[in-house]
Amino acid sequence: MEYGTIERDIHVDAKPEVVFEVISRPEHMREWWPDDARYEPVAGAEGELVWHNAETGETSTVEFAVEEVDPPKRFSFRWCFAEPARQGPSLLVTFDLVPAGAGTLVRMTESGFREMGWEIAVLEENYRDHVSGWDHYVPRLAAYIGRLVGTP
Amino acid sequence: MSTAVDDELWSAIGDPIRRTMIDLLLAGGPGTATSLSERLPVTRQAVAKHLAVLDRVGLVHATPAGRERHFQVDEAQLARAVAQLSAVGASWDARLRRIKRIAEAIQRNLDENTGGD
Repeated sequence: MEYGTIERDIHVDAKPEVVFEVISRPEHMREWWPDDARYEPVAGAEGELVWHNAETGETSTVEFAVEEVDPPKRFSFRWCFAEPARQGPSLLVTFDLVPAGAGTLVRMTESGFREMGWEIAVLEENYRDHVSGWDHYVPRLAAYIGRLVGTP
Repeated sequence: MSTAVDDELWSAIGDPIRRTMIDLLLAGGPGTATSLSERLPVTRQAVAKHLAVLDRVGLVHATPAGRERHFQVDEAQLARAVAQLSAVGASWDARLRRIKRIAEAIQRNLDENTGGD
């Protein structure tokens, strides 16, 4: 825990139940991170994250494993496994959700860099969202929210 | 720059207490293990250990001052460490901002559809 951990806190003006869904469900995750997320949001489930590079047409697939699902308090997963078939050291990402006023305090920690060595941090930078920022998402978001509200 | 040094730098600054200590030293100027421990939820001994780690990777420098030592941040070394960390951190900052916007948009929609609380 002490070594090679990234921590981030962010306040979200939405209830923990809503934030939990956004963080844990693959159909939400692909709106905030990879181009595609394939997994069941249950503890122990194995899956993958997929990025498409529009310029080269290449696809990168990264193995993914759900660690803990405790709605609406905690969601954690592993990725960046050192060896194929989800073996060896990996990065552990944990989201802890705490009610804060009418909203939620989200604490994200990513740990395992110490075990993985520095190279993985550089590697992750290469995975850095193949989008330059929020602009890419805005046009997609309106339609997306519409779909969510349309399907109770 | 060697990988070994980078790993140590990463470890030194990867710890939340040590990051807070650096923040305190940057905001308040040079400090001692005693002055820092008064503002942190850890003992003076623990602060001294953390300072030793920071000192070893060159993030702080010590100057003797009576029975204690004054520590100050080496801003050049800090800038180097921050540049390395920010690559990974920036990715998460962007993802978390998107999580925030999506969740808040959904919440607003829910509130509007139920006529608010």
